[in-house]
Amino acid sequence: MLRLNNIEVIYSDVILVLKGVSLDVTEGAIVALLGGNGAGKSTTLKGISGLLHTELGEVTDGNIQFEGVRIERKSPEEIVRMGIVQIMEGRPLFEQLTVDENIKVGAYTRSDSGAIKADAESVYAYFPTLARMRNRISGYLSGGERQMLVMGRGLMARPKIMLLDEPSLGLSPALVKEIFRIIKLINDDRKTSMLLVEQNAFVALSISEYAYVMENGRIVLDGPSEKLRENEDIKEFYLGLSQVGKRKSYREVKHYKRRKRWLA
Amino acid sequence: MLEFLQQAITGLMIGSLYSLVAAGIVLVYKSTHVVSLAHGQLVAFGALFFWFFFGSFGWPLWASLIPAFILTAAIGLLIERLALRPLIGQPLFAAFLMTFAVFITLEGIFVLYLKGETRALPAFLPEGNIALGGLSVPVNQMVSFLVAVLLFIALSLVFKFTKVGLGMRATAEDHRLAQGTGITVRKIFSYVWVLSGLVATVAGIAIAGVMDIYYMLPYIGINGLIVAICGGLDSLSGAFVVGLLLGVVENVGAGYLDPLVGGGVKDVVSYIVLLMVLLVRPYGLFGLTRIERI
Repeated sequence: MLRLNNIEVIYSDVILVLKGVSLDVTEGAIVALLGGNGAGKSTTLKGISGLLHTELGEVTDGNIQFEGVRIERKSPEEIVRMGIVQIMEGRPLFEQLTVDENIKVGAYTRSDSGAIKADAESVYAYFPTLARMRNRISGYLSGGERQMLVMGRGLMARPKIMLLDEPSLGLSPALVKEIFRIIKLINDDRKTSMLLVEQNAFVALSISEYAYVMENGRIVLDGPSEKLRENEDIKEFYLGLSQVGKRKSYREVKHYKRRKRWLA
Repeated sequence: MLEFLQQAITGLMIGSLYSLVAAGIVLVYKSTHVVSLAHGQLVAFGALFFWFFFGSFGWPLWASLIPAFILTAAIGLLIERLALRPLIGQPLFAAFLMTFAVFITLEGIFVLYLKGETRALPAFLPEGNIALGGLSVPVNQMVSFLVAVLLFIALSLVFKFTKVGLGMRATAEDHRLAQGTGITVRKIFSYVWVLSGLVATVAGIAIAGVMDIYYMLPYIGINGLIVAICGGLDSLSGAFVVGLLLGVVENVGAGYLDPLVGGGVKDVVSYIVLLMVLLVRPYGLFGLTRIERI
């Protein structure tokens, strides 16, 4: 459904951030994109959603196809209209608007007011916490509530695919569990595909069907998530488990010799 | 006491004109977060266009209104297309300075055309006074006061209850996020500037009803800006209330102090008010409070 073919992204005409990234999200799938800081995960998402244009970034090579249509030159609002919604990192809200108004803005591209009302109710059904705060100014919400609201706002556009940028960032383990439960639920109910960028590799690999690992602007590893969970490198570098499957003791960190196999 | 009330009520009527000018500035700020210095020019051009058709060509009132609105809105759209659209996504300060450039340019054109002359509109509002107790209020001022009230109610409803209004408020907060939500920010900008052109025409015509059109007219925009800032820049009700208040303060202040200091109080009072408001409440009397998460 969504396919990136060997894309290269350059910021401000000089900074090469993505060096040929290819990935594939099939219909109804949850796909995880893992990697350390600065690997290019968020840039990949922005490339898809078109928000790169607002940051002086550009896809200079390769192409991005959504349902067979090339989208790498389209504006963010056209891309939303086509059914791709990015849930941005840092959970940006329209802070001066109420919760309900934020939800309504999410449906800005649509004009079927009856269905919009019904959709708003179904969003509140996914997130009962939000339903209790409809008329509150959203700037005063807590981190978890903000995450729910940005996801709810995204759902209002009836996306075919959601690009989630670090939904777990800065949330308590209980909330992370809750958020991912809802992501899975939405995926099951609506067959909405998800491309999930995460630092929390453990949760991401347990919820996704397929995963890609990025480093330095390249995809260095990919495979079905259950396979990757067993991969020695992934265990070591992303799940914090040593070869024997135990948690690594910090005493041994000094003697750490293992190299990532993909760094030749 | 009666004299005071008379001064105050006349001030109220003049104040409604300030509110009308401020309405356009608030409108632009509330929907794009750009502070427009050029609004006074739009007001002046609105008045001038109306004069062309009504005063010069002698068209009937309703027929003169239509081209005046269309032409001023067109200037608004032109400003947006040529000056502000290229700056979408750039720092807001750049856009602010651009409105200053537009201010200078339009002012130049205005003065070039008018030179030192004045253009007076023939009276187009009903004459006469309404007596309220011992006070008298000219009917034409009353009409522009009512127009201001209606305009403010209409604008508030647009912002609060329509989809475009919601899109405008969202755009004001964060251009990038608005784009990511599917709002076409460019379109919102054009709507806003066309609307501000229309609002400016209302203000221009109302003002031309009580004073002549001459080269200083665009500077009413400065009074509008003072009102908008004191009201909180993003608050329509703030602009309305502060506009009236300023009118009253100016008029009463001038009425009592002018004989003592030999005139000129009217021109100073608004700046003193601005200074005091900003000292006590930097975000204006009615502005949205900044939300800070700790």
